[in-house]
This record gives sequence, C-alpha cells and structure tokens, in this order.
Amino acid sequence: MRDLAIQSFSFRFALKRDLLYELVMRDMKLRYKRSILGVGWSLLNPLAQLLVYRFIFEQVLPVNVPNFTSFLFSGVLVWNWFQMSLVFGTSSVVDNRELIKRPGFPIAILPAITIISYLIHFTLALPILLTFLVFSGIKLTGSLLLLPGIIATQFVLILGLSYFTSTVQVAFRDTQYLLGVILQLLMFLSPIFYDVSSLPKRFQTLYHMNPMVGLLDAYRAVLIRGEFPGRSFLLLGLGTLILLMVGYLVFTWASRHFIDEL
Amino acid sequence: MNYKTKPAIVVRELSKKYRRYDLNRPSTLQESIQRGLNRVRPSECFWSLRNINFEVLPGHAVGVIGPNGAGKSTLLRLIGKVGRPDNGVIEVNGRVSALLDLGAGFHPEMTGRENIFVSGVISGLTRREVRQQFDSIVEFSELNEFIDYPLRTYSTGMQVRLAFAISVHVQPDILLIDEVLTVGDMSFQQKCFDRITQFRTSGCTIFLVTHDISVVKKLCDEALFLRAGQLIAKGKALPVIDEYLNSESENSLQFSVANRTATAAS
Repeated sequence: MRDLAIQSFSFRFALKRDLLYELVMRDMKLRYKRSILGVGWSLLNPLAQLLVYRFIFEQVLPVNVPNFTSFLFSGVLVWNWFQMSLVFGTSSVVDNRELIKRPGFPIAILPAITIISYLIHFTLALPILLTFLVFSGIKLTGSLLLLPGIIATQFVLILGLSYFTSTVQVAFRDTQYLLGVILQLLMFLSPIFYDVSSLPKRFQTLYHMNPMVGLLDAYRAVLIRGEFPGRSFLLLGLGTLILLMVGYLVFTWASRHFIDEL
Repeated sequence: MNYKTKPAIVVRELSKKYRRYDLNRPSTLQESIQRGLNRVRPSECFWSLRNINFEVLPGHAVGVIGPNGAGKSTLLRLIGKVGRPDNGVIEVNGRVSALLDLGAGFHPEMTGRENIFVSGVISGLTRREVRQQFDSIVEFSELNEFIDYPLRTYSTGMQVRLAFAISVHVQPDILLIDEVLTVGDMSFQQKCFDRITQFRTSGCTIFLVTHDISVVKKLCDEALFLRAGQLIAKGKALPVIDEYLNSESENSLQFSVANRTATAAS
C-alpha cells in the first residue's frame, strides 16, 4: 500500500516536471517562431538599451560609477528579467483559461512557466555580460559561484510576487496596467544606472525597501566587485522565501474560484 | 484494503451555487471603487447542482443525461476537481483522465509532433509515456505524412483527430467524457467509439455526459438524469432513459399546448 503511495507520488512529480518542461519549451518556441533572428532578439534588446543608456549617462547626465558599462549591462539584464516575467506572470492565469478548466491541471505552475522562460533568456545573455566584464579588465573571482544563489533568490522573489498579482488580476484586469506604471517608476527607483551611494542618507532606509536594490547590489558584488554579497542579502533571501510561501497559500486558496471567475 | 470494492466515484450531498452578477457588474478597479467595494456581490444565486448523491463502482459506465443547463458538465468538472463544490464531498479513487476540451494547449504555429508532446503532458501523460506511445498516437490520428507540418495547415477534422488520438492514449482508472464522441467523419467516430468500448472492457470506469441517448444505450449500464440541478433519477440505464424521454415529451407537449393556446388567444 505504501509502495503504491510512493509510486504515485513520484509519478505525480514526474508529471509536473514534464508539464513544466513542455510548457516552457512551447513558450520559448512560440516567442520567436517565424522570426529570422529568433532568440537573437532576446540579446539584441538589452544591447540596444545598453547603447542608449550609455550614451545618456555618459554624455548627457554623467554618473560617476566605475566600470559603468558592466554596471549598466548587469542592471539592465537583471531588471528586464524582473519586469518582463512579472508583467506576463501576472496575466498567466487569465491567459490560460483552457488549461485551468482541465481536470488535474496544476494551476500554480502557470506563473512559473513565464518566469522560467524569461530566466532562460537571461541566462543566454550572461555569457555576453561575462565577456564584457573580462574585456573591461574585471577579474572574475570565486564569488561568481554564488551567482546561481542570487538568481534563485530573484526567481523566488518574482514567483512570490506573481502569485499575488496573478490572483488579483483574475478579479481586476486593471492589475496589469497598474503594475506597468509601478514598474516604470520602480525602474528609476532601482540602482540600474546610478549607484546607491549617490543617494542622500535620509532616503537610504526607504530606498532599501525595494527588494531590487539588495538584489542588484548582490549581483554587482559577485560579478563586478568580486566580493561576497553583504549579510543583509541573507535577510532578503529569507524575506523572499516568506513572500513565496504566503503568495502560494493565497494563490491556492483563491484558485478554487478561478474557474468561476474566468 | 480491497481496491475493487471501493467505489471509483462517491458524490455525497453535493451542491454548487452559480452566481449571476448584474450585467453592469464592476469588472475594473475603477468601477468597484466608485461603487464601494462592499457592493461587489452577486445579485442572484441559483443552484447549479442541488444535493446530489450517487456512487459509481469501479468498471461501471455511467451516462449523465438531461436537458441543457441541467448541470451535467458542472458535475463532470467537479468530479475532475475543477472548481469547488459549495457543499458536500466528492471522492475519486484512481487516475482520472478527461475527454473534454480536446486540443487544450494546441498551437497552430507548432507542428503536429510538437503539439502531441504539449497536449500529451497536459492530458496527464509523462514525456516518456508520450515518446513510447508516439507512433500509436500518430497511427490512430491517421496523420502520418503530415505530422511534421505546422498545425495551422491542418483541416479542422485533422486537428480534432489528432486531439482525440492523444486523449485516448492516457490509461486512466476513471475516464470523464463530455460530448466529444461526435467528432470526425463516420469511420473515425466508429474508431473512437471502439476505443472507448475497449477502455470499458479493460475495467476503466466511465463517466459520460451527452445528449446522444443512443450512445448511453450502447455504452452505459447505468444512467443519471439531471434536470435544473436536481438528480431526478438514477439506476439502470434503460429505465432512466425512458424517464428522461417521457419527461421531455411531456415538456414539449405542454409547450405546444401553451403555444396553441397563445396563438388561439391572439
């Protein structure tokens, strides 16, 4: 009897893993189907952003940051993953009505599919970033080994947030638009093209409420400064885990009603 | 524990409310703030299913019949754990598969082959199972030479055949079917029907929702008759079907009488 239970548990696990795999692959395939450059677009887009930002923040509004190109590029890549997957993760439930209606479909994997698909684009751009780093004379150190941990933290953060936003999106389709506005503002309130240290002291505490501040700093510590992220990063990691757990609970609780609402 | 004597499906005191909202129900944040959040309440509730009780023994085939809006599909989905009952319990013992919404996850830009994998895992197969059964799925769909073309080049009939072929390659203990036995041309319909019969003889429990009385007669040994959310009759298929047909003809008789009176009066 117990064997049967274990078997069915591992079977259910295999089913979810394969579902995740196939749906992420579908997402990847469809995104650039019938486009000539295909996945190249996911690299061209941040590079174009990089060019424009560099022009502005070196020629028009100079900011004084060492290794500015690498600083900027890492910021843009990290932010793009955050923004894109949060926006599309929010609509992932509403957009997949036919899957939600299917018996046995694990609804909770829907936001994860979007986030993983953008994570793949993020990882595809990483080698280019590393090349940039090497060319600007930055020495890659052992702290780089922490990169997967930081990526995992960002993944947990986005997934946790998506569980909230996609739940609200089912009842109020405004959520996505509101989120777009918030994200646009948050981009300027995150250290993407300037350094945290250039901020007046009295704003620092408030500024650090934005989880992207700690996250971006951790990325740069590991990639550019060759340091380990500060101890506050552990706190951030713990916070995101709690966020994910609460988000998941809210999502699964609300998902009982999704089908009646969609 | 004796698996065979445990019912495959147990439904007890099941009720499901359907909430009907005002046509001008707020659907944006702006509207609901304007009206005050406390007023976002359904204007009317009615019971889509009311106090339903029945059991299905393993290996039995049950047909659910009744007029439109009787709650048949709602019942089927609740058994598949889609949505939550407002009252009562549903117990399902075994691996469930569903023949409904054929082709969920299909995308016109992907090839037949790619779609088989996506739709296969959505239908509850693992990737390994899809790989193992791939040839058999293609053969069943009769699409051998088209399988690597994008789905958008397929005719509607071809798409349906592919969808059906994938669905019937799941090996469930309990199969839920909702109005899908009328797909494709006559010979394909016969093939689908044979396949379902095969499921049946191999001991699979079947729960079927349909308007087609002849399918229930051919396939099911028991039937449930639902009307307006109430379970009117349950038991052996033939008597239940008779009861359904009688009540239907009574209804249409009343309707035509009422019609005639109305015509005469005007």
